[in-house]
Formats: sequence, structure tokens, C-alpha cells
Amino acid sequence: MSMVRVNGVDLHVEEVAAEGIQRGTAVVIHGMTSDSMASWFLTLAHPLAQAGFRVLLHDLRGHGHSERPPTGYSLNDFVADLDALLTDHWRVDGPVHLFGNSFGGTVAFSYAALHPDRVAGIVAIESAPPTADWFDRMGSKLARVAETLADAEAVANSRPLVARRVRAASQLLAQTSLGSELPTSVLPVPELITEIRCPVLCLYGAESAVKELIGETERLLPHSQHVVIEGQRHTLLIKAPGQVQAHVLSWLSAPALKG
Amino acid sequence: MPSDQTAVLADVDSMLRGVLGDFGPDAEIALDTTFRDDLGMESLDVVSLAGRLQARYGNSVNFALFVSSLDVASVGDLTVGQLVDYICESLEKVPAAS
Repeated sequence: MSMVRVNGVDLHVEEVAAEGIQRGTAVVIHGMTSDSMASWFLTLAHPLAQAGFRVLLHDLRGHGHSERPPTGYSLNDFVADLDALLTDHWRVDGPVHLFGNSFGGTVAFSYAALHPDRVAGIVAIESAPPTADWFDRMGSKLARVAETLADAEAVANSRPLVARRVRAASQLLAQTSLGSELPTSVLPVPELITEIRCPVLCLYGAESAVKELIGETERLLPHSQHVVIEGQRHTLLIKAPGQVQAHVLSWLSAPALKG
Repeated sequence: MPSDQTAVLADVDSMLRGVLGDFGPDAEIALDTTFRDDLGMESLDVVSLAGRLQARYGNSVNFALFVSSLDVASVGDLTVGQLVDYICESLEKVPAAS
């Protein structure tokens, strides 16, 4: 297991080497609380490597095997970690493709808003750019999770694997300021988001509320493409990796700007 | 390099205990032990296992390819025996060094 120290925090990083003709670098970013790099490692990481991408993974601070500082969980902290890894550790030369699941997609959009020339494309799964509406929703979700976790009996009665994952989320929210800090993050101004010119593909589960944000994302990024996948929920990436892979690979082969 | 089942099982046993650390099972790890229900493995533990398999067997065992052929739920349903069989098959395909 590789650990790298950036911004005073030890982060767990992995890399899957590109096969065949090299097509660039793909950075895959996981979501909030109970998520980790595993949701990418077990789904799209290897198909992307086989398609010629050097695939870079990390566990966000506080998540997976990365260190869990008590504070430092605003959007900017996560974006600064990504920036430091790309610049100082992975030493990536040239623009990268960013892939984000849920909050990971928001980190991708935020990084691109600050460094539009360093991003070649964005794939966001069940996600949205850093807007006030999206952060309100994440704030409510984190509050609901904290509430559920306070019900010790429900946690104890859940299946062992679920219980361990729920405990992980519970500990993250109990041990850190993430629950209060993230929803009140300073967000990039909309003018910066509209400066993102690279191709953008957004995938949604038809049974998830996140697709309600499509309209706002299209207003900010008129060139973005949006695909809603029937029968899927917020767990789209891990429940339907084959469908996600098919959409992503076909988009990568023809990421022409819409309109 | 051992490619008989018993030796590979011993390797896998030690790798799994290394990955799981304090969460490791008290009981013996056997061929019918399942990743999720018996070992309580989480998906991130599978990432760590991939790293250990790579360190042990190099490129002769492509665990990444093996897991990417399964969906995430099936990774949980995996048995130790399925992994051992995959390792044995992979090692048999490697030409013996003379």
C-alpha cells in the first residue's frame, strides 16, 4: 500500500499502468463518507487502463486508508490534495481526464474551475458542479446519515458488512468536522465554472434525485452531455459498471463538443 | 514457485490475514471460506489484496483482470477456493524457468 504525504496529511494512492497505445492520464475520484477508491478500482480502473490510460487513484482525506485529520474537510482541502498529488507526486505532464463519483465529481469540476487548462475532460457520475443547491443537498444528506447512525440498535442489527461500512461513516462524522465543514465550504463563483471548456459527460441513475440538477449543470456548462440510466439509483457506478463503462468508452472515442 | 493448491492456499491465507489485520478471522481459512460473509472483507480490502498478490506473483497472476470480470457484488460472493484456483491456473500458464 502506497502512502504519500501532501498538505500535512498521509494519503493512500494506487496506480494502474496503461496498456497498449497510450491515451493519457485518468484520475478517478471517489465519493463521500462510506466510499473509497475501491469503487473505481473494482469497476472502471482496469477497463480504462486497457483502453490506454494511466489510471491514478487516491483515498480522499478521512476516507479509506488515508489519514483522518480532525479538521480540514472543506471543498478546497479536497481540491488542494488532488492538485498536490498531480503536481508533486504523480508529476503529471499535460491535461488529465478527471472521473468523479458523487462528491468526487464535484472535486473534479472544482479542480477544473481553478485550472481549466489542466483538464482534458470530465466524467461525473451521480454528481454536479459545486453549486449552492448541490451543497445544500449534501448537507441534508450528511445530517440524515448522522441521525441514522445515532440509532445504535439499527446499526447493530444490520448485516456484518453493512455494519462495518456504516461504522466507518459513523466514525468519520463523529471524529471529524466533515459534517459541519463541507456543507459550508466556500464555493467557486459560477463565472469560474462556466470557464470549463473541456468535454463533460454526466451520468445519472433514473431512480436518484441527483438528476434534478441536470438543468442547472446545463445552464453552467451548455456543452455538457447528460445520460440517465434506467433502473439505477445513486449507486450507479458500482451497481451498473458495465453500462457506465460502455457510455464512458464510447464518449472517450468521440468526445466532440455538443452544439 | 508453488502452483499446487495447498501451497497457494497457505499463501492466500497469509495475504488475507495481512490485509484484514485485527479484523482477520480466528478460524481457519479454507477453500469454501467466502470473502464477504466469512471474512467480512470490504471492497477496499480487495484493493489491498490485489497489491499483495502483485508483490507475491508479479504479472503472472492478473488479479485485476479477474476481479474486473466480476461485478462488485460478486466480488463479495467469491470464495477463497475460486481465488486459489485462478492463481493455480495462472501459474500453470507461466513457462517454467529453466
